[in-house]
Amino acid sequence: MACIKESRPTGNTIVIGLESSPTNLDPRYATDANSYRLAQLLYNTLIELDSRFHPVPNIIKRFANPNDTTYVFHLKEGIQFHDGKELTSKDVKYTFDCILNPAFKSPHFGAFEKIDSIVILDKYTVKFILKEPFAPFLINLAVIGIVPKDDMQKSEDSFNITPVGTGPFKLAEFLHDERIVLNANADYFDGRPKLERIIFKIIPDSTVRLLELNQGNVHLLQNDIPPDLFPFLEKKDSLKIVKRPGTTYSYIGFNLKDAILKDKRVREAIAYAIDRKAIIRYILKGLATPASGILSPYNWAYEENVNVFEYNKEKARNLLDQAGLIDTDGNGPQMRFELTFKTSTDQLRKRIAEIIQQQLKEVGIKISIKSYEWGTFYSDIKSGNFQLYTLSWVGITDPDVLYYIFHSSSIPPQGANRGRYINKRVNMLIEEGRITLDMNRRKNIYSEIQKILALDIPYVSLWYSTNVAVMNKSIHGYVVYPAGDFFSLKDVWIEND
Amino acid sequence: MKDFIIKRMLLLFPVVFGVLTFVFLLIHLIPGDPVDLMLGENARAIDKEKLRESLRLDEPLAVQYMLFIKGAIKGDLGESLYNKKPVIHLILKRYPETIKLTIAAMVLALLISLPIGIYSAVKQYSFMDNCSMFFALLGVSMPNFWLGPLLMILFCVNLGWFPISGDEGLRSIVLPAITLGTAMSAILSRMVRSSMLEVINEEYIVTARAKGLSELRVIFRHALKNALVPVITVVGLQFGALLAGAIITETIFSWPGIGRLLIQAINTRDYPLVQGCVLAISISYVLINLITDIAYSYIDPRIKLR
Amino acid sequence: MFQNRLAVFGACIIGTLIFVAIFASYIAPFDPCEQSLEGGLTPPSKQHLLGQDGLGRDNLSRIIYGSRISIFVGISVIGISLLLGTLIGCIAGYNPGWIDELFMRIVDILLAFPGILLAIAMTAVLGPSLNNIVLALCITGWVGYARIVRGQILTVKEREYVVAARALGANPVRIITHHILPNILSPLIVEATFGIASVILAEASLSFLGLGTQPPTPSWGSMLNEGRQFLLVAPHMTTFPGLAIMIVVLGFNFLGDGLRDSLDVRKD
Repeated sequence: MACIKESRPTGNTIVIGLESSPTNLDPRYATDANSYRLAQLLYNTLIELDSRFHPVPNIIKRFANPNDTTYVFHLKEGIQFHDGKELTSKDVKYTFDCILNPAFKSPHFGAFEKIDSIVILDKYTVKFILKEPFAPFLINLAVIGIVPKDDMQKSEDSFNITPVGTGPFKLAEFLHDERIVLNANADYFDGRPKLERIIFKIIPDSTVRLLELNQGNVHLLQNDIPPDLFPFLEKKDSLKIVKRPGTTYSYIGFNLKDAILKDKRVREAIAYAIDRKAIIRYILKGLATPASGILSPYNWAYEENVNVFEYNKEKARNLLDQAGLIDTDGNGPQMRFELTFKTSTDQLRKRIAEIIQQQLKEVGIKISIKSYEWGTFYSDIKSGNFQLYTLSWVGITDPDVLYYIFHSSSIPPQGANRGRYINKRVNMLIEEGRITLDMNRRKNIYSEIQKILALDIPYVSLWYSTNVAVMNKSIHGYVVYPAGDFFSLKDVWIEND
Repeated sequence: MKDFIIKRMLLLFPVVFGVLTFVFLLIHLIPGDPVDLMLGENARAIDKEKLRESLRLDEPLAVQYMLFIKGAIKGDLGESLYNKKPVIHLILKRYPETIKLTIAAMVLALLISLPIGIYSAVKQYSFMDNCSMFFALLGVSMPNFWLGPLLMILFCVNLGWFPISGDEGLRSIVLPAITLGTAMSAILSRMVRSSMLEVINEEYIVTARAKGLSELRVIFRHALKNALVPVITVVGLQFGALLAGAIITETIFSWPGIGRLLIQAINTRDYPLVQGCVLAISISYVLINLITDIAYSYIDPRIKLR
Repeated sequence: MFQNRLAVFGACIIGTLIFVAIFASYIAPFDPCEQSLEGGLTPPSKQHLLGQDGLGRDNLSRIIYGSRISIFVGISVIGISLLLGTLIGCIAGYNPGWIDELFMRIVDILLAFPGILLAIAMTAVLGPSLNNIVLALCITGWVGYARIVRGQILTVKEREYVVAARALGANPVRIITHHILPNILSPLIVEATFGIASVILAEASLSFLGLGTQPPTPSWGSMLNEGRQFLLVAPHMTTFPGLAIMIVVLGFNFLGDGLRDSLDVRKD
């Protein structure tokens, strides 16, 4: 391919390609991944998470936990909003009051409903009192950037157009579906970012994103790159590729109310019949690691010693025979039974579905794939209208997410226990886990839950996706985070060799 | 003529009303819940209920419909469920981009198809006729989503003539317009040619020729005018198709038009935004239709406007 | 003469395609769904003349089987749309007044309505399947023909021979079938031949949005769309299904041209 002059990032500006536009940069509203990732650059939170997802201070000097339901935060002094005003405890109170105010329609309401009251102790000290002990509270705080009180009240509706935060970058321009321009915040409390400007360019088509990267009009792409294109990218001298295992967990969900699938032997057989390693090798080009459960090895609560199902067609066939689902004609065209496998319309997912279809055919299970547009797909799995489906969990941090996924009171519409999994022991442990503040005891509780889940197999664990960033060689200091955050942009610099 | 236009303008209302009712029913009846899609995977049931209430999505469908129609009459299309901006603002910002692209594609298509169609009809079965029809075929048989990236690789990556994506000035509209307009120019060339051929064989053209009028005069004064009637129908139809069908082109070229806005709104079940986009598209469609009808009667006075 | 030879050629292409579609299982060298993951995206070779797709399946066999889908969708959608559109166009064009108004308003509503939304709605409510794709494309497919038929009837109706036939008291059905339809066939045929092509493309566009045929069933449109993301590394994935589509379109157009000439009643 003949190439026109390749442009490198100039003037300390880098351009990053995004697949979809963030919808709302207001941290009180932001829910989609890109909104959240950009809000991280514009705002600061009370708490941030370390590499094992332990809560650690961000804009606070320290916090205290005098009893099970009280948290006191001591803010750092002199942190300024982009408009020059200082961040104080009244801004913190205001931010969370907004979220708790039903009139505000914040989607984060549920995460903080355990808050009973927020008290300003002095200019830099604020106290949160909870209604009852709630272990995930601190981790939940890591999502909410603090917004300034005064500005907000004036312009509540137009806030998401001109967000004002304390983060390393300020918003300069937000053209929905076109681009978002961020300028460096020279007064950032943790040191001025080395970059002058970041432009996020919205390019929905993956081929086009790569062409733009190839041309040098875009300098960095993270994830959403078809794995088959890596050999092409690796050959480019102007680019470098950074990989790091991630936390995004892909799985196949079972409907446990289904007449066939409620038999554990059938679920085990399916787990044995799927050759995850082959899929990872040939389709994902090694950009995933086999998973054993929802919590990734990064997580402090991750339990290593759980039951895993290594690919074994014989075991699968035997289990199906034991379950009384005999393949009458051996390797012939007759199948033992048929299942419907629902997936979204994503190309990669559809291809993986086709491989799983083939692999299950070899043990005598006929799969018919139904790919639905996202809204319909989501609605179907929520209402339990499925036998098998495949999906991912993104951004899992606190293990209390298990309450939402496997507690029997979380059957939709209450939560995401879509397969209708019910286990009394698991229920009890999950409830205990969320009110236990002692880290060691909490870890033991979640270890036991993970072991039980691996035996009960409400899900077939597939893999954790590896995060990949492809960037221009002149970009230095970019760190790929497990959840795909862009936070390291504040430390990135450009240096042509 | 004036009465006709007024009458047709009045007819705009039932059509738009029909479209709005249709879209309201469709979007609300298909599975999928905006609240689920808004709050994402980790949301809790209570958040969803609260949000549903505050967005008035818990009201019976009939009540929501009344609210929607009432608002629409007052010109209030509500606000996007997602980014809380008034739907009308989003549309006013995005629609001009699509109109720009569509007009560029249409102009391109006409510039290509009229000369080719006329020439091919006049020199029927000549080498050039066969050639141009062959290219017309190539044009129509290439899906947008293949043609777009191929053009990009050729003109942007290899030749560096145009920017790859986005709307950054005049140069960036060229490739999307070609992508969107190619199939259209192919269809139109064929239409012009076959329509011209039909007219050329009619008695009055034969008569005109017999009277010794110059060939150019016969073609442009007599034949073309009559041949344009079916062509105009197709132009009108295709314009609507272009407007609504710019979705793929806009996605590929990251063009910030209404097609992309609509598809996102559908995917996220952003009801007010879907309704707003469809309303905008339908109004412009009806207006184009009206213009087509007027052009019809202008060209062929035998058609009476009622 | 030349034109008729082209028509024969077009008919041959279509005949071959129908033959291929019917006897796909005998012609195809491989099972179109047989995967060999190691062979993913391999370019054309002696064994796999058109290369292998992302899952190592034989592209040639998939294209051979894909002809079934494309031809089925193309012909059924256009057949149904043409019938329905002509019928409604005739009724509307021949009955000025409220009937015409009613149908044209329905046409307007459907035309003014983004087809994509309908397609999503159909597959969402009825589930993704080939028949529902056909249904979704028919719902908007007929309106174009209805408008053309009506437009033509408005022109033809005022012509002397029709006026004469009416004056002689011929009944409307006879006038339409004997005097009007033969005279409006040529634009319809031109439109329908292109229509088949654009329906095959529309099926492909539905694939672009992920609403096409369900895997592993191969269709040219979905193959083309799947191949699109490998444009930079495996161009054979798009070239061959693309060419297949072009050849079919060519065939239908040659045939359409030939038919147009032989059906042209005024060609003395």
